[in-house]
Amino acid sequence: MSEPRPPGPFRLEVGGKRVEREVDAEIEFHLAMRARKLAAAGLDPAVARERALELFGDMDSVRRECLSINHERERSMTRRDHLGALRQDVGYALRSFRSNKGFTLVLLLILALGIGANTAVFSLIDALIRRPLPVPNPEELVIIGDPRRSNGMSTGSPQVDLFSYPLYADIRDGNRVTTGLLASGHTGRLDAILAEGETAEHPVGRLVSGNYFDVLQVPAAAGRTFSQAEDQAPGRDPVVVISHEYWQRRFAGDRSVVGRTIVVNRIPLTIIGVAREGWTGDVVGQRTDLWIPLMMEELLLPHHPWLADRGASWLLMMGRLAPGVTLERARLELSDLLRTSLTRNPTATGLGDIERELRNNPIRVEAGARGFSYYRSAYAQSLVTLMAAVGLVLLVVSANVAHLMLARAAARGREMSVRMALGAGRARLVQQLLTESVMLTVAGGALGLLVALWGSAALLRLAGGGSAAIPLDISLDARVLSFAAAVSLLTAILVGLVPALRATRVELATSLRTAGRGTPGGSGRPGRSALGKLLVVAQVALSLLLLVSTGMLLRSMQRLDTAEIGLARDSLLMARLDAGRSGYEGARLFQLLRDVTTRLERLPGVAAVTWSENGIFSGTESATTLQVEGFRATADEDTIVAYDRVGPGYFTTIGARLLQGRDFNGGDHETAPKVAVVNQSMAEFFFKAGSPLGRYLEVDSATWTIVGVVADVQGQDVRGAPEPRLYLSAPQSLDPPTSLVLAIRATGHPARLVDPVRRTLIEADPTLTTQSIYPLSRLIGDSVGPTRMVAKVIALFGGITLLLAALGLYGVMAYAAVRRTGEFGLRMALGAAPARVARMVLREALMLVAAGIVIGLPLAFVAGRVLRSQIFGIDLVDPPSIVLAVAVLGSAAVLAGFLPARRASRVAPLEAIRAD
Amino acid sequence: MDELDVSLLRGTLDLLILKAVSWGPRHGYAVAEWIGEATGDSLMIGEGTLYPALHRLERQGLVEAEWGLSDNNRTAKFYALSRIGRRRLQEGSSAWHRFVETASRALRATGPVPA
Repeated sequence: MSEPRPPGPFRLEVGGKRVEREVDAEIEFHLAMRARKLAAAGLDPAVARERALELFGDMDSVRRECLSINHERERSMTRRDHLGALRQDVGYALRSFRSNKGFTLVLLLILALGIGANTAVFSLIDALIRRPLPVPNPEELVIIGDPRRSNGMSTGSPQVDLFSYPLYADIRDGNRVTTGLLASGHTGRLDAILAEGETAEHPVGRLVSGNYFDVLQVPAAAGRTFSQAEDQAPGRDPVVVISHEYWQRRFAGDRSVVGRTIVVNRIPLTIIGVAREGWTGDVVGQRTDLWIPLMMEELLLPHHPWLADRGASWLLMMGRLAPGVTLERARLELSDLLRTSLTRNPTATGLGDIERELRNNPIRVEAGARGFSYYRSAYAQSLVTLMAAVGLVLLVVSANVAHLMLARAAARGREMSVRMALGAGRARLVQQLLTESVMLTVAGGALGLLVALWGSAALLRLAGGGSAAIPLDISLDARVLSFAAAVSLLTAILVGLVPALRATRVELATSLRTAGRGTPGGSGRPGRSALGKLLVVAQVALSLLLLVSTGMLLRSMQRLDTAEIGLARDSLLMARLDAGRSGYEGARLFQLLRDVTTRLERLPGVAAVTWSENGIFSGTESATTLQVEGFRATADEDTIVAYDRVGPGYFTTIGARLLQGRDFNGGDHETAPKVAVVNQSMAEFFFKAGSPLGRYLEVDSATWTIVGVVADVQGQDVRGAPEPRLYLSAPQSLDPPTSLVLAIRATGHPARLVDPVRRTLIEADPTLTTQSIYPLSRLIGDSVGPTRMVAKVIALFGGITLLLAALGLYGVMAYAAVRRTGEFGLRMALGAAPARVARMVLREALMLVAAGIVIGLPLAFVAGRVLRSQIFGIDLVDPPSIVLAVAVLGSAAVLAGFLPARRASRVAPLEAIRAD
Repeated sequence: MDELDVSLLRGTLDLLILKAVSWGPRHGYAVAEWIGEATGDSLMIGEGTLYPALHRLERQGLVEAEWGLSDNNRTAKFYALSRIGRRRLQEGSSAWHRFVETASRALRATGPVPA
């Protein structure tokens, strides 16, 4: 049989069930033909049909098989089509980028900046807050104590946020919920001499129990870590393990360092090994160079015999949960053990203090995967604020890029029209444009990773504020990379979708006729320019928000720098020394202090010298229980005050204001009647009626007479609230402090005195350990590190978004001006002055900015609330910042509009009308 | 027809279809008719089994399908041999003939030991 048939390139059907319908049609055709033939041979039509069905066979299974084969075919064809289309799109996009290299580069840079900034802040947040310690199975770890007090220490009554060594030993040996429990404590400043004849340097160390490396499962990179035998008896094992980074940095990775001896705090220690690469300690955000067994503590820190002292709380504990033990069960058992051990072993201060401590403070047993960290709590808030800011920047960046791509898509309007006239589906074109924007943002994102690496390192340096950068592991791990990828894709959609939709929504005829440029009089597609204007307004609003935030933060910084804290903050130099380490105590100590004071006061530029146990802005505080004559305590808090033990002339030297009575003087020595000074808050709290002068206090196991009242001093935190404070004459106290801080009042700049003071101290006694000498202003500055970091970064971002908004504004004005060239020409031909035309353009620019400001203002009001923890000394709604931000934006508007305005006014009328 | 014939038929259905369309495009019914005529009507176990085979051949690219009008003006799906289908037909046919020859020779052997 031959059937001539017209070949037709058409499908039988289109639509969802096409395959089913075709298969059914084919089978039906066969049956009909067969039945027709049978009927032609004489059968009844109905019978013929039945017979045909019989002859056909199993209809259902045939149909099913055909359908599955056909569906499979459809799917693979579609796949091939899509891949082909994608390949085509990518090629097209690459060509388009190559032919507009400059434009593409600008877009890439802007995107890299936006995505990179976000990734940088995210990786910081991730490293500081979320990332677990780099050890096997960190989820098994549990911490006992307050993980923020990694460098903490307190003496007196036992605490529940830090622990003494005997308490640690009780818990370690008595519990059944951990497979190993380690203890880790602060060493204070170490003096290390690495080789004969070298000067002392100051590595950061940590005193740890012998099982430290075993519990954490951190192996050695060279040599070995502590063994079971070590750390059993005090002073018996003078060994040290150094960190990999320290090994590389100070020993150049020389393997012969194992077995070498270094002298730390005058004790020779043998290096037995190097920890594995990447292990920087159990304290996140703080680099550890050396690990020394706990048992060496008394040799390393003479005059601090803590190993047997239940009153010396200085250790944090960390352990691995035994298999099958839940955190909850561990918490119960460990808390019980702690409570038992504490109450069974009261210290000299008595059981009452311990019971009060247990009553008021919860015993913390938490998941330990993230280690200890001081910085985490200090910076967490600031980083989250930064994340919000940087997210805003990304929005502005996206708006900017979208706007630029919109402009470019508009220029390609003609090309789009032609392609659509030739049959390209709109979806197809949108897909192609989207491919372009995805490729652009992915490339921008990849570049952004570089920006992120550099940016997060810079942020860490900024946060460290002068001293070394905070060491955090900010390498790009999978999480950070996924974040960057997600942000890139989101940006791609934000940036690409609307321009793509716009560009392809073309009225064919108009576009082809006017060659895509639009007709004079603005009748050509006002929609496009409206979107551009909308984007600019959005950018202006976001910029306003960032600029107002910048203003508020900068003003806060300024307030912090000049805040009245009750003393001469710009004239003091603080020198911390540990006289105890050189063997001074009691009478000899005071003799030394008198000698040092005399020598220092002889230096040119020094007005007066005094000293105290805790210093100012030093990070250490003392508190004591006391009983006040005539005051009946009604709550526990009424019997505790913050206090300090100070030397003669303290208040006059530091510049505090005496309200009543007198300062301490040389007459208040060891054998004289014991005298004390209270601050205003304490006077108001304990002595509501009448003057405190002459009244008595029971403190420090003796009776003291109050001889003076001093105005409140902000001694630790610029932002803190004033609280009652007691000052005792140190020579008269029971166990005078051997570690103290000299306060030197300078007539000029305190920084100039650093070297002379250091030299003088060495002259007085070369064995004296001077731990640090800093101007007070520097210490105060360090204490506001997080705020400073946030302020600087937001200022930077504010500047960037301002620039981007200005550029966006310029772009829109320039485009609008070009489009209205004809209109301007017409106006000027009819007699309008060029200046008038220029003013029209400028007015439009200013109106756009005004719209942005109006929208952004409510957001700016909210900014203060968001930044609440960072600002100081100004209201949550700060008018000067807002006014300043508006002024800056206004000037930016004028600048951005200036060039287009000028160009508009220079249009030659005839030429303009003829142009289209 | 008996079981032996059926299994032999199934293995060669594809070749028969290719042969059926080698003279020009045909619709499924026409292919069924031709196979019926050429094999003396003795090998069909169900005309429907033709269609999955046809569709498989189409998916493999050995035949190309298009909808068109039959000579009684009904729309039908026509199958034509593609270039690689023609080549497969040639190779398949010669392989088949070769196989049949060898197998016949073996099956006509008169004793266990080769003569």
